[in-house]
Formats: sequence, structure tokens, C-alpha cells
Amino acid sequence: MKVYSRFMESLRSSRFTVSGEIDPPKDANPAEVVEQVEALREHVVAANVTDNPIGDVIMCTLATCVIMQQHGLEPIYQATCRDRNRIALQSDVIGAAALGIRNVLALTGDHPRMGKSRDAKPVFDLDSVLLTRTLSTLRSGRNLSGEELARAPEFHIGVGLSPGVEPIEAEIIKLEKKIEAGAEFVQTQCIYDEKVMERLREETSHLDVPILPGIAPLRSLGMAKFMLANVPGISIPDEVMRRLESTRDLKETAIDIAAELVSAAKDYGFPGVHIMPVGMHMHVGEIIERSGVR
Amino acid sequence: MIHTRHKPLEEILQMLSGATKVAVLGCGGCVAFYRTGGAAQVRELAEKLGEHLQVVSLGVSNRQCYLCREEELSGLGDAERIRKIARELEGFERLEEVEAVLSLACGVGVQNLAGLLELPVYPAQNTLFMGRRRVEGDFDIELCVGCGDCVLGYTGGICPVTRCSKSLMNGPCGGVFNGLCEVSRATGEEIPCAWVEIYRRLKKLGRLEELRRIREPRSHAASGIPRRVKVQEGAG
Repeated sequence: MKVYSRFMESLRSSRFTVSGEIDPPKDANPAEVVEQVEALREHVVAANVTDNPIGDVIMCTLATCVIMQQHGLEPIYQATCRDRNRIALQSDVIGAAALGIRNVLALTGDHPRMGKSRDAKPVFDLDSVLLTRTLSTLRSGRNLSGEELARAPEFHIGVGLSPGVEPIEAEIIKLEKKIEAGAEFVQTQCIYDEKVMERLREETSHLDVPILPGIAPLRSLGMAKFMLANVPGISIPDEVMRRLESTRDLKETAIDIAAELVSAAKDYGFPGVHIMPVGMHMHVGEIIERSGVR
Repeated sequence: MIHTRHKPLEEILQMLSGATKVAVLGCGGCVAFYRTGGAAQVRELAEKLGEHLQVVSLGVSNRQCYLCREEELSGLGDAERIRKIARELEGFERLEEVEAVLSLACGVGVQNLAGLLELPVYPAQNTLFMGRRRVEGDFDIELCVGCGDCVLGYTGGICPVTRCSKSLMNGPCGGVFNGLCEVSRATGEEIPCAWVEIYRRLKKLGRLEELRRIREPRSHAASGIPRRVKVQEGAG
């Protein structure tokens, strides 16, 4: 299997691989992307670019990816099925590949009712399994209409996983289908509970695909409560809540907790982590350093 | 059956503006059963409208989606046509004065009626969905979108096209929490995740292998255009 990206090269090596995440701005200011890129560049191999989470309009994934490339950080292009049918999705990722994007993450996408564009038409022509297979088909040199592509797009295909949801068996079955459809790496929804990490390890031990647990620093008790209420399948141990409650230095505690989770991911045998800094881009380096994984 | 909901009175009056004498016609089908467009609702609406314009005739027709054969109406004027299709009708003697007809039928009924009359026909209701009367709980629920490519045979008799907010084909999305659809968090309603229900049902039936198979993307080739079916010889 060919390696097209630094990210995949790292996953295939024995190195502990850390991916990050860029939050595109709502406006047309590339400097906001550049700032995040500069904070992450020395610490992560590549970084995801979100596709209008909860349907709130932000700078498009493709433009953000290109700005990242111009500033020396490898993008992982997140494609969701929410706003684009199979025509637009194929067209976009072919264009992304032409611009040198070498990692694509296939997601279902949030329902538009979740955010500020609640009246928008939900598309979902494909789902994450079918988008994964579509990416594989394109990479094999054909499009969904069966036409041959003289030059097939070259990218690696990733998928998401929500490790805390119930029933987990249904989630794992879906992951197995994504792997059958061509998924080469997995990044998970954020995990705060080592028990969830342990269960994830057990539930996926039969699968031969690198899984990067998602880690998002908890900037405040308020954020922790928000995550508990709004992110499906999230559990945050009482002890973590207590630390956030009693700390005198939230930033330090947030970095510590995240670093411990990175370290736990390594101990459980995961080949890396996916860090979603949610505004703490400047501290990703510190999280990794304190985790001791390098 | 078809579920409907009354339009706001202001919208109805807006549509009817220009007409001073109207007929209000309920439907004897689904909306009569669900009590959104039967005799009592026609009377209620006529009373409200009466404050703004003249309701010269009111009543309930046969199912407006199937009123009668067109040939039975040939040569008749609108007033006679309305008399012929109505089951119960008040003020029929003044039908000639009517300038517009307000129908409490679903969108199918309104269109059918509009096609049979010269008079303008307006909808008094928004047509919501095909569903069933509640079995338990407080809600009637949508069960079928008429997608034209039924998958119920693979999904334990639970339709993901209709009952998954994203019409997904290959299992639950990552938004499911406590067995509920992620949209529940936005709407405050408890919308069950169709795929959790499908998973549980298939597991109970010992048919989880159905869930393990990658299901093809749905074809919109047939449903993305106005659909029709050829009428069978001898049918109604």
C-alpha cells in the first residue's frame, strides 16, 4: 500500500503520532488560520480541518487546507455528508487531491438543526460508510458513474468513531463497515475517561487499523459541563470534575488532564492521539511534552 | 394516513384576499379521521372566517384525493360539481355566488379539487406526513416518505429513510445519545434514534447480519422527478 502523506507515514512507523485540529474562522481572514498553524506546526504531524460543525457557517475546508499547506502544516480534510450530494463530494475531493491534499476524513456530519442554520436542507445523500467507499472508488481510478480517471486522486481515507455511545456494538459494526469500505485510520470523538479508552481498546482489538483517541483539553468547568450535556457518549470522571472545580490555575490543570490522557492512550497501546485544541492551540506543545510520549 | 395541521388564520385570509364569498370544504378521508378536516373543523373554521368574509356554503366532500371520475362531471359548472362531490353541504343553493373554495383536505385533495374546478381552490392546511395514530405516548408519528425503494425488509420493519433524521443507510451516526437522535437536543423532543431501534430489533430477530452489510446509496433517479404509475386495467 502506497504512502501519500506524512501523516500516514508516521502511522506506519513506530512513532507515536499526534494529529491536531484547525478551527476555520467565520470570516475571510487567513491570518486566523495561520496563527493556529504556527501554534501547531512543530508539535503535530498533520491537522484536521472541520467542515462547518453543527452547520454554523465558517471558512470552507478546502481553502483552510490550502492556507495550511502554504504555511507548512499537512491538512486532514474533513468531508461531511450534510451539505453535499455525491456529485459535490466527489468533485470537492478530486479538487482537494489536485491541490495536494493527501488525507481525507469521511464523516456523516451534524444535522443542520443543531446550529444556527436550522432551516437549511439536510442533504445526507451518502452516509459516512458510503462516503468512505466513494473515496476508495475514486482512489482506485473510477468515479461513482463508473468512468475511469486517468489520474486517480491520491489520499488516505480516515473515519470517525464515537467510543462512548450505546449500544457500542452498533457503533463497532459501523466501524467494521467503514474499514471494509476502505478506511485506513480512525480518529475518535473526545475521550476523558480512561475506562472508555480501555473499552475502546477491547472492542476494537480485532481490527487492523490505527485508532487515534480524541483528546480535547477542558478549559473550564463550564466547558466540561457543556461537553457532558452536548457531546454524545461523553463521560468525565468525578475526579476530573473535582480538579477543575478546585484548581487555582485552570490552564495548567487543563494541560495536565489532557497530558495524562495522551499518556494513557500510549499506555493502552494506541498508536497516537488526535488533539482537538478548541482554542488552546498555543498549548498543544505543552500537552504533548508533559505527557512524556516523546 | 395523511397528517395535516391548520394554517394560521392570517395566512388563509391572505390567500383569500379579493374573494368575499367563499365555500369551505372538508374532506371525508384521513383528515376527517384525525379530526383536522372533518365536519366539525369546517364549521369551526367557517365561524372564524365569518368575521372577515362571507362563507356562503360549507360542507364535507368525499375523499378529495378521489372524488369521482372526471367524465361524471363533464358539462357541469363549478356549483353543480361541488354539489355532486359533497356529502354534506350547507348553503348549496348559493354556490353560484362563490368566488373561491377553501379546502381542508391534504395537498393531494386540494390539487385534485383544484383540477376539477374553474374556481380558485386554496389549502386551509399544511400537509405534514404519512403516518399512524399513536399507539402509546402523545404523538402520531411519520412512518413513510414514499421513497419508492422500500428497505423495511432489511431493517426489521423500521424505516431509516423516514425515521432517521439523516435518512442514513448504514447504522447510527455518532450523534446518538441515550438511544435518542441528536436532533432531540436541538428540538427538546425525544426523538428515538431509528438505527438504535433497528439494531435492537435485528438483534432480537437474530438478523444482525443485515446490519453488517454495506447498503448501497439510495437512488433518487425515480423520486427526484414527479412520479407516476400506469393505471392497471380494471382498477378503480
